Amino acid sequence: MNINAATLEASTGARALFLGLLTLGLVLIYAPAVYLLLASFNPGMQLGLVPPTEFSLSWYRALLGDNKLLFALTESIVVGLATAIIATPIGLSAALAFRVMGARRGTFFLFILFVMFVPGTIQGLGLSVIFKELSIRPSWVTVAAAHVLWALPFAFTVSLVSLAVVRPNMIAAARDLGASYWRAFIDVTLPLVRGGVISSFVFAFLLSFNEYARAYYLVGRQNTLPLTMFGAMNSGASPTIYALSGAVLIISFALVGALMIVGYRHAGPGGGWKKSAPASWKLLMLWRPNARSPLLK
Amino acid sequence: MVAEASERLVRPQTLAGWLCRPALALSLPAMAVLVGLGLAPLALIAIWSFWSFDPATYWIKPELTFAAYRALFETGRFPVFVRTIGLAGVTAVFCTILAFPAAAVIGLMSGPRRAAILVVLFTIPFFTSALIRSFAWRLVLGRTGIVNEVLVAVGVVDQPIEWLLFSNFAVAIGMIAAYLPFAVMPMVLVLARIELSVIRASGDLGAGFWTTLRRIVLPLSLPGVIAGFLFVFVVALGTSTEIQLLGGAGDSSIAIMINDVMRVVNFPLAFAIATSVVVLMSVLILLANRWLGLSRMFEDLGT
Amino acid sequence: MKERVELGSSTALALTRRQLLQRTTLGAGALAIGALGLPRTLRAARQINFWASATLDIGNDWQAFTKETGVDVAFTDNGNDPGPVVAKLAAGNANDIYDVGGLQGGSEKELAKQGLIAPWDTSKIPNYGTIWQWAKDIPYLSYQGKIYGIPAVINADSMIALQDKVGKVDSYGVVFDPKLKGKVAMEDAWINSAVFTAIYLKNSENEKIAEPGNLTRDELGLVMEFLIKKKKDGQFRTFWNGWEQGVQLVANQEVWVMTGWEPIVYAARERGINAYYAVPKEGYEGWANNTILLKGAVDRGLSDTAHVFANGMLAGYYGCKLGTMRGYVVPTDNNGKYAGTHPDAFDPAKVKALADHVKDKFAGKVYWQNTRPDNFQLYEEWWQKLRNA
Repeated sequence: MNINAATLEASTGARALFLGLLTLGLVLIYAPAVYLLLASFNPGMQLGLVPPTEFSLSWYRALLGDNKLLFALTESIVVGLATAIIATPIGLSAALAFRVMGARRGTFFLFILFVMFVPGTIQGLGLSVIFKELSIRPSWVTVAAAHVLWALPFAFTVSLVSLAVVRPNMIAAARDLGASYWRAFIDVTLPLVRGGVISSFVFAFLLSFNEYARAYYLVGRQNTLPLTMFGAMNSGASPTIYALSGAVLIISFALVGALMIVGYRHAGPGGGWKKSAPASWKLLMLWRPNARSPLLK
Repeated sequence: MVAEASERLVRPQTLAGWLCRPALALSLPAMAVLVGLGLAPLALIAIWSFWSFDPATYWIKPELTFAAYRALFETGRFPVFVRTIGLAGVTAVFCTILAFPAAAVIGLMSGPRRAAILVVLFTIPFFTSALIRSFAWRLVLGRTGIVNEVLVAVGVVDQPIEWLLFSNFAVAIGMIAAYLPFAVMPMVLVLARIELSVIRASGDLGAGFWTTLRRIVLPLSLPGVIAGFLFVFVVALGTSTEIQLLGGAGDSSIAIMINDVMRVVNFPLAFAIATSVVVLMSVLILLANRWLGLSRMFEDLGT
Repeated sequence: MKERVELGSSTALALTRRQLLQRTTLGAGALAIGALGLPRTLRAARQINFWASATLDIGNDWQAFTKETGVDVAFTDNGNDPGPVVAKLAAGNANDIYDVGGLQGGSEKELAKQGLIAPWDTSKIPNYGTIWQWAKDIPYLSYQGKIYGIPAVINADSMIALQDKVGKVDSYGVVFDPKLKGKVAMEDAWINSAVFTAIYLKNSENEKIAEPGNLTRDELGLVMEFLIKKKKDGQFRTFWNGWEQGVQLVANQEVWVMTGWEPIVYAARERGINAYYAVPKEGYEGWANNTILLKGAVDRGLSDTAHVFANGMLAGYYGCKLGTMRGYVVPTDNNGKYAGTHPDAFDPAKVKALADHVKDKFAGKVYWQNTRPDNFQLYEEWWQKLRNA
């Protein structure tokens, strides 16, 4: 039987209930985003819906010239990527440390977690004082530093959760066969936690992308996107911010749609890929949440 | 296990030896970040919370006092702690309850293509601004908003429902909508890894869907569920957006309170609030760890 | 590179897509350079980074300002909340990155005491003399005989009301009228809402209140207890926080009357709502956003440039532009003069009408807003009680 097939068989009733709750969750998450998308086609200044006959792309055109917003978007992307690139490996290595640790792992775990509870404003202010003392000029680097701290416990926990599938006897087996710790990590652990690493990366990016309390005290002259949005909401927003949100949604949906169309054409049995699918598309499916490694069979 | 046990028995004799110990080396980057970027400012803030407000400069002076902490209890700050923690807890509970079935569908009842697409779907809205997403709820739930328009048009109610917006209901909706993906992601990670053979074995032994769920899936997915709860709780605790945009007149949270207090340059009080939050939550986590064995849950659950 | 890419600068021209891509790559490079902390002298010598409420921003039109004054302006939004702004100045890095600040008045004294801002040398600001006298005379602008704040924008606030729902109102009492329970709002800021309530209680309920902008302990208790009772009775639909929230409440008819900023009326009208700004018999609340000179700019040798900048804001173009964009007035007659000499750019009649409108308001009863009344920390404690109620 194909190991990629769905596993849990459910009665129609249970299936309907679970699918219903899934749908409810998606509806809640998407309601505001879809509203904003539809409202972004409203050429007037008022945030609100208009009948489709009045739809206009004027705010999207205005968005292309809205440098304040676009520079802020660039800054946020840079900070987000830096945060994700740094926090993910650190989180993974901390999770590995947790696994290898002895009696002190409880303390270590709690130490990582307690940092999550520092209120963002105060964290940002405190860090900015320290950077000032060390004569470190505020810029996207200082923002990324604070965001790495913010994202680290999340990256750590996600890595830890995904490490639950790596059993010590697998590592022991690899070591017995002569592999070094490093080789055992690359060949055994990493493939198994691939989904967790990717999740961790995306998590860290999104946490940083949406964070503004810490960023406020640590930005250089270029504000990040949340700060610009926050300022716009406080002092007068041009509807280009809704066009930005709409654009993100449209682009994302386009990508997902492409994925689905290609997937349909190259669908293999049991939901996998046909052998004929081009390698690049297979790459897109790197994150297969329920792919089972042969090791687990 | 044997390999690890033998590692632990040998104590290194040199510094280089210590640095080569896997646990230490692996945890070093994280510790550096946590201590340098996390502990250092926190220590500073904690110390400053004992300094006094200086009316001459409107900043702080090194006179040690408990005034800030006394003010915490005397000027109505503690109810805000309780409310915020309660709200965060309720949000986390709702998100966890809603996220589990969603994650189960993704991780256990879908092929890899559908699962990947669903996961991506849950993540996409996060790339848009959380601030304006919460703001959009005002237009959806308001007196002239969509929900009310539909309800009135269909005839369910005569007048628009007032409590849809600027109420605890609106705050809850806003928070769940904003933080649900935080709960879904860790659960999907863990649910997707549950071994086929275990579930099939359970089926072979005669367990139905619900029994398998309750006795096999749930215990195995506990780390993911706990992680999801924790994530939502943490972000809900520190947020001010949903409450400010969707809550009743002047509703407060810890983050809002800190801003209020800093606006009147009462920095010692702001620092005291922050320190108290960290201490309080640390105690709560310690207790949770003792009673629920949190950290033990994340150790390998070898099935 | 020939093309100077200064991130955060709104002086960039409207871009084609190719230019945007170019700028983004250059921008990323500039970000990297910025992170390396290259010395400040590499920046253009005549550039000012203006860190202010977005109410003071004129967007892409800073380029025209540069043409008029010779000073390049990079605008950064400071979030409009005096709390984080003061904190960032006092404890954070604001002085390292920004040159001139712009925010609500009242904090000048403490910033001066801490040496975070420097006094303006009005001899270097020829246009300073053209500022309307009563704007120059606002008490908190000067400290120990030196001038720390120059009024940038000034207005007198009252209430926004929906004509179709409440007709013509002329008293703040309508905000506290039980008949309008759940249909009114006030700003989530004691700095404004306490003043409005005090104005009402003083003039319409004849309570013993000396200065609504500076309440004593007992007066404050009186005012806040009144508000707390009203809140408990469910009088307020909500408290609003920031421009978009305020406009949304009015434009969506979520509330029928609310105390707030005048441009909300213009925004609502633009969006097709029949709103008007009330002329209350109890009087207005006056406020000013002021420019302050940050010490960091002086240390970096930008003091003279900053003075040219401040002078430029009073020269006329900025005032006309701001008036057209937001309906806010820079308190100088130079705006009218500028419109007179540039009638194709700005309608002189409109500029004059706006200036006269504000002057008329201030000729009547106006009580000044102040971020630092004598009991300011007590204000916040009471506001916390209101929140908990």
